[in-house]
Amino acid sequence: MTVPALEIKNLTKTFPGVKALDRATLTLMPGTVHALMGENGAGKSTLIKVVTGILHGDSGTINVFGENVHFDGPTDAMDAGIGVVHQERNVVRGFTVGENICLSKMPRKGPLVDWPEVKIQAKRCLDMLDLAIDPDTPMTELSAAQTQLVEIARGLYTETRVLLLDEPTASISVDEAMRLFRVIERLKAEGTAILFVSHKLEEVFEHCDSITVLRDGKTVVESQPLAGFTRDEVIDKMVGRALAHLEAPQRSVDMTTVPALALNALSTTAGHRNVSFELRRGEILGLYGLVGAGRTELARSILGLEGVVAGTVKVKGEDVRIRSVREALQKYRIGYVTENRKEEGVFLLQPITTNIAVTVWSKLAKFMGYVPAKDEQSLVAEQVAQLDIKISSQDQMAGQLSGGNQQKVSLAKWLAANTEVLIIDEPTVGIDVRTKRSFYDLIWKLADEGMAILLISSDLSEMITLADRIAVMERFVVRGEIENTHHYEEMSQAVIRLIHPTSTPAAGE
Amino acid sequence: MKATMRFLSSSPNVTLAIIVAMGVVLLGFKSGGEFFGPVSVTTFFRFLAIPILIGLAQMITLSVGQLNLAVGSIGGFAACLAGVVVTDFGVPQWIGALIAVVVGGLAGIVNGVLIVVTKINGFIVTLATMTILMGAQYALVGTRTISADAWPSVTQFGKSEILGIPVIFIMTLIVAGLVSFYFAKMVGGRRLLATGDNETAAEYGGISIDRSLITAHGLSGLLAGVAAFVAVATLPGVNQSVGGDWLLPSFAAPIIGGVVLTGGAVAVLGTVLAATIVRLVDSARAEFQLAPAWVNLVVGAVVLGTVALGRVRANRAEALIVQQRVRAAEEALAEVEVVR
Repeated sequence: MTVPALEIKNLTKTFPGVKALDRATLTLMPGTVHALMGENGAGKSTLIKVVTGILHGDSGTINVFGENVHFDGPTDAMDAGIGVVHQERNVVRGFTVGENICLSKMPRKGPLVDWPEVKIQAKRCLDMLDLAIDPDTPMTELSAAQTQLVEIARGLYTETRVLLLDEPTASISVDEAMRLFRVIERLKAEGTAILFVSHKLEEVFEHCDSITVLRDGKTVVESQPLAGFTRDEVIDKMVGRALAHLEAPQRSVDMTTVPALALNALSTTAGHRNVSFELRRGEILGLYGLVGAGRTELARSILGLEGVVAGTVKVKGEDVRIRSVREALQKYRIGYVTENRKEEGVFLLQPITTNIAVTVWSKLAKFMGYVPAKDEQSLVAEQVAQLDIKISSQDQMAGQLSGGNQQKVSLAKWLAANTEVLIIDEPTVGIDVRTKRSFYDLIWKLADEGMAILLISSDLSEMITLADRIAVMERFVVRGEIENTHHYEEMSQAVIRLIHPTSTPAAGE
Repeated sequence: MKATMRFLSSSPNVTLAIIVAMGVVLLGFKSGGEFFGPVSVTTFFRFLAIPILIGLAQMITLSVGQLNLAVGSIGGFAACLAGVVVTDFGVPQWIGALIAVVVGGLAGIVNGVLIVVTKINGFIVTLATMTILMGAQYALVGTRTISADAWPSVTQFGKSEILGIPVIFIMTLIVAGLVSFYFAKMVGGRRLLATGDNETAAEYGGISIDRSLITAHGLSGLLAGVAAFVAVATLPGVNQSVGGDWLLPSFAAPIIGGVVLTGGAVAVLGTVLAATIVRLVDSARAEFQLAPAWVNLVVGAVVLGTVALGRVRANRAEALIVQQRVRAAEEALAEVEVVR
């Protein structure tokens, strides 16, 4: 009878208004790779943060190799032999690669940093991943994928008996992921217990031995062998029966209309080359790509925040030159729902009224910029009703709303301004499953009403559910465009072929 | 011409060193060589010590993304306290001088602890302690000036020189060297930089943010205390005005020197050079017999100019990143063509 490497029992963690973990339970055995699955907001990252001492649980127990532990901070968890690769990339940009890898436990000679040792240790970690990055390279010179690889290398730095990997493959290529899996296999053979969080079912089924599924903070599958599951069963467990068979509604787009927005061989000052697509009214065009592929920058270019080097942007068939977001909105009726809701999308300390009416103030304004409260409120009330936003009053601060409702507020301001083209960037990050479903319905409804929607997402399953067509972006170029059949297997293969045409010769036929 | 411009803006320190050199040459010519005379040189360096020290004191709080509005009032209070304990309480003069340094460090630690415990923004906390210490300084000395006659040996130290260079300036350079060493080589200094660069990354890496903030403010206060010691050693006496005009120069030196307000970076050499430029402007004012207000005008212009130059540099770095992207994009395009 082996002692579990990590045993979590009835772990509960409450944030204001949300139960992130609700008596979560998990048993991780040494020498196994254990998948921790769940939708965004299911509590996976919270669980990892509690186990690594960054957050403190409200109740419940954590045992490491049979010993009950209470971690005050990340250092305690490290000392107990727990290594982690966090989901968010948190690097010290001003330091070198080597110093970042060794940050948690700087090699030292007395009070001095032992620089030669930093290099040796960092090189060792990078070598494990076959990475040809010099430890002396400044972090600022790395790409998004390299940055994530350095994060992984950092997780390998200390001697770990338990390694927690929170979506380590989110923004790296298939080849790079393969190197990670070779390391995982080796660590597993050496007896390390590995907890692996990923949204990529292929990876999970190929490399994991057992599985735990969280839904809304509760454990719905507790540490069972993965062999007994099919992919559909895992999805069922993750999203709940009610939502599992999310079928896209039958939609038809009139392809004969003049494109509401078209890019014609667009090259931008952000670095895009030769980007073309056409987006018609009533259509949802998916722009898929990993972090750093240039999707958000493309949205910024359309809005006039980046310059055009060559090529053209057409709105309703006419060449336009958009100089600012203001012009995009007021002249061309293009709205942009930003990726970072909290930082760019809503005014957290302002009332709902301000958050939604901000785009129409200039239209509502009477003499010398006076905006009658009644006009403002009736317009806001209309949007609140249409989007079914749950608020107690229009005076409520946006910061008090749940993530899903904040997202709706950030969308509502564009609808209030009668936009005809809506660019929606990563709409459902950090939103629970139910809200996500209602958000999907909303996007379909908007499209059916004639809105042209450019949907940016790095969540492939979301893309395959929502989009009519998918354009795949990589390295600031559109690698290709495919008609969406809504079959996950087929579509994900097709997308991977577009990104890696050379690795599958058959794709050329 | 373009190449020259590029060289001039390649690194902040090169730009600053060139400005220093031009200033020295200009002043040398204008004064008919008198600026290079032994007395001028000694005076120049003696009154350069405090600007460097307070610039470094501010730089250390900037390194963690904080600022210390109390640099001048800590220094002024510490200097006056030293004067009072020596003159009124008969404390030995060197102990008094030491008290100035220690009290500075303690005041800084109090700043840090207040910020950590109350979680109130550092700007507000140091604004409050600045005001409190200014009041305390006035309470200590009122309207009188405590004459330096009470600490002749300390004053002697302030006047002593080696090969025409004031010992007090050499001491300042040693302090600057130690600060530089601390941030480049010591674990403590690296922790401060990591904290200022990315608080979350630092925290996940097991670095205590609270400890970083207290350390940074403590060291900042300590350097303000050293500046107070220099004031005690070089001024004919201490009164309520000591430290009153330190606040703005303490920001000007690191900002001109290339330190960002958001944290994560230090520039010791840059700060020293920038303080030297400000000192040169002051000397030029004396040489050209202009009103002191001209110094402010010039220093303000230099601050704006260096920040603009920093922007040029950042733009160039961004352009490089875009160039890399374009190369990658063109490779990616070529791959697409091949497949087709």
